[in-house]
Amino acid sequence: MTEITQHYVDQFNAASAGLAGRGLPWLDDQRQAAIELFAKSGFPGQYEEDWRYTPLKPVIGKMLHVKVDSEIADTDISKDLITGLDAYRLVFVDGRFSPKYSDTSGLRDSIVMNSFEQSVVRNPELFTEAMRSEVPLSHGFAALNVAFSTDGYVIEVAENVKLDKPVEIIFIGVDSNLATQPRNIVHMGKSSQAIIIERYVSSKQTGAVVNSTSRITLDDSAKLGYYLVQTQANDASQITSVDVRQGRSSWFGCYTLTLGGQLVRNNLRVSLQEEGAHCDMLGLYNTGGKQHVDNHTTVVHAAPHCTSRELYKGVLDQRSRAVFHGRIKVEQGAQKTDASQSNNNLLLSSNAEVDTKPQLEIYADDVKCAHGATIGQMDQNSLFYLRSRGIDEQDARALLTFAFLNEVLDEIEVEPLRHSMESFLAERLLENA
Amino acid sequence: MLSIKNLHADIDGKPILKGVNLEVGTGEVHAIMGPNGSGKSTLANVLAGRDDYEVTRGSVEYRGMDLLDMKPEIRAREGLFLAFQYPVEIPGVTNMYLLKAAINSVRKHRGIEELDAREFLKLIKEKAAMVEMKQEFLYRSVNQGFSGGEKKRNEILQMALLEPHLSVLDETDSGLDIDALKIVAEGVNLLRSEQRSMVLVTHYQRLLDYIVPDYVHVLAGGRIIRSGGKELALELEKKGYGWVEDQAAA
Ligand SMILES: Nc1ncnc2c1ncn2[C@@H]1O[C@H](COP(=O)(O)OP(=O)(O)OP(=O)(O)O)[C@@H](O)[C@H]1O
Ligand SMILES: [Mg+2]
Repeated sequence: MTEITQHYVDQFNAASAGLAGRGLPWLDDQRQAAIELFAKSGFPGQYEEDWRYTPLKPVIGKMLHVKVDSEIADTDISKDLITGLDAYRLVFVDGRFSPKYSDTSGLRDSIVMNSFEQSVVRNPELFTEAMRSEVPLSHGFAALNVAFSTDGYVIEVAENVKLDKPVEIIFIGVDSNLATQPRNIVHMGKSSQAIIIERYVSSKQTGAVVNSTSRITLDDSAKLGYYLVQTQANDASQITSVDVRQGRSSWFGCYTLTLGGQLVRNNLRVSLQEEGAHCDMLGLYNTGGKQHVDNHTTVVHAAPHCTSRELYKGVLDQRSRAVFHGRIKVEQGAQKTDASQSNNNLLLSSNAEVDTKPQLEIYADDVKCAHGATIGQMDQNSLFYLRSRGIDEQDARALLTFAFLNEVLDEIEVEPLRHSMESFLAERLLENA
Repeated sequence: MLSIKNLHADIDGKPILKGVNLEVGTGEVHAIMGPNGSGKSTLANVLAGRDDYEVTRGSVEYRGMDLLDMKPEIRAREGLFLAFQYPVEIPGVTNMYLLKAAINSVRKHRGIEELDAREFLKLIKEKAAMVEMKQEFLYRSVNQGFSGGEKKRNEILQMALLEPHLSVLDETDSGLDIDALKIVAEGVNLLRSEQRSMVLVTHYQRLLDYIVPDYVHVLAGGRIIRSGGKELALELEKKGYGWVEDQAAA
């Protein structure tokens, strides 16, 4: 065991008795299994194929600063709100639930929406089997999250219930150099419908690290639009692990929008477990400076007649770097699978770099799988065309960059969110141009 | 309006324009004809400010200004317009957006108040009707999926909207059916005035039946080798370029 691994194991042994929800057998078991696995595996290393492009050392170093119980910091959330977004809202400040900034008034009884900590402490009976289901511990970060996490959000939408408004979860980083480990759980009952917007922001430069897991289960015919929106300060780091299981004829729309952070690694895994399930996986990243954004996605076709569509688009400037690794796995018997994947990148600087890699594992014979990746530069003909119509070079560049991302932006169904992304991007593009 | 003197331009070190001289007076319409690859589009693009071409010698004066010293966007704002031989498709940017950005940048440059959404809409509808362009085209991405003729019509729409002092139309008539040709010609003729000048690059005498030029020039081998009145176009149509080239060589 390396020194750092040992450090966490010791810390766990010292702290575990006081972790929220202690005594709940399912949770105790999960935490125990997670720390044991972590003790064995430790953090992933760059020698591992799945992690080779992403330097983890600085993140791991920073993760040591775990916040011990203290007051929830005060912050001004008004500037972090999205103009015009009417949503049920949970706010977490430095990883801890803050009722003060949250607003779930008007929420129907058939919907559970609360913090993980409050739920395990006060209403552990809320945790149905689906919500207790284990987070796949596919790497050390997920294991560490499960072992240590005390808070996060829990949402359950009962059968046939359709949410009238989106749910917005805001994780705000306030304190400096802090590591937080939100554990999020979503269960969509049969034929239920919801939109969840999970946002990570920071009040200022804090150098914070967030290591989150989100476990999402969709029962038959459920529909969930899930937005992971990363607009934290450019010195923050984040590792996310989103695991999704889909039932029969369910729809999962996943939108990973990464505009902030120094180092961001998103692990997304969607498992289409029963016939007729469909998922759309959309991604957008815009990086500058020395930002590093790594999207690892896996879609598992485990049943016949499922469809998946994936489109990730990125714009990279300056010395930034992006990694895209998209895996499509079609299991034996998953006939009539229809899967598509594309990753398109626009490089605005010759110092920016992209590594993109599709990976297809197909064990069924009657399937349709399409994939493609592109890396290109700004089209000079288009640029000249716009300029010849009187448009500034700087504006023309921003406009073309925008146009490139539009294919993804256009799919954001929540209009206020789309507008907020657009203005965030516009500001960024004009500033960098 | 425009005074081109001994203009030489290279692309990738290869000389394309080899001493072009051309004077376009205010209110005049000039047609430039010439064989494929003779440098007509090169000339048009150099005028519009494309930087792939390197001007190695010569000068261009436009309305008293040193044109070659200006950025493409400034040229446009100063009233120079190029209708492209091959208009570019720009997915993700709507025609509407482009048109509005274009007109407002020109207005701003000239110190006129920018148009608000309503004023712009009114104006654009009027102009679109003039070139018989269906409204839906305004909301589509710039030229994306437009047919060849629709793209050309879109160029004329932009021209009509921007009301340039000098329009350079690079083969706007190529690929147009008879009806579209008439519409384009009408658009041009409506704009034609004592204050405006036009340079029409074309291969076909046909266009010149609708837009009667004051002068016709033959550009071959990177130089204007012959100039004349509108009857020169008819002669070229009959005899081809061979005889002018032979005469020029002689
Ligand atoms: N990017 C380029 N690289 C190399 N050569 C070029 C490039 N662009 C143009 N040329 C060459 O320059 C010459 C002049 O081209 P230009 O497009 O100006 O001709 P044109 O007179 O407009 O012809 P057409 O009637 O076919 O439109 C041609 O020989 C062409 O191949
Ligand atoms: Mg040409």
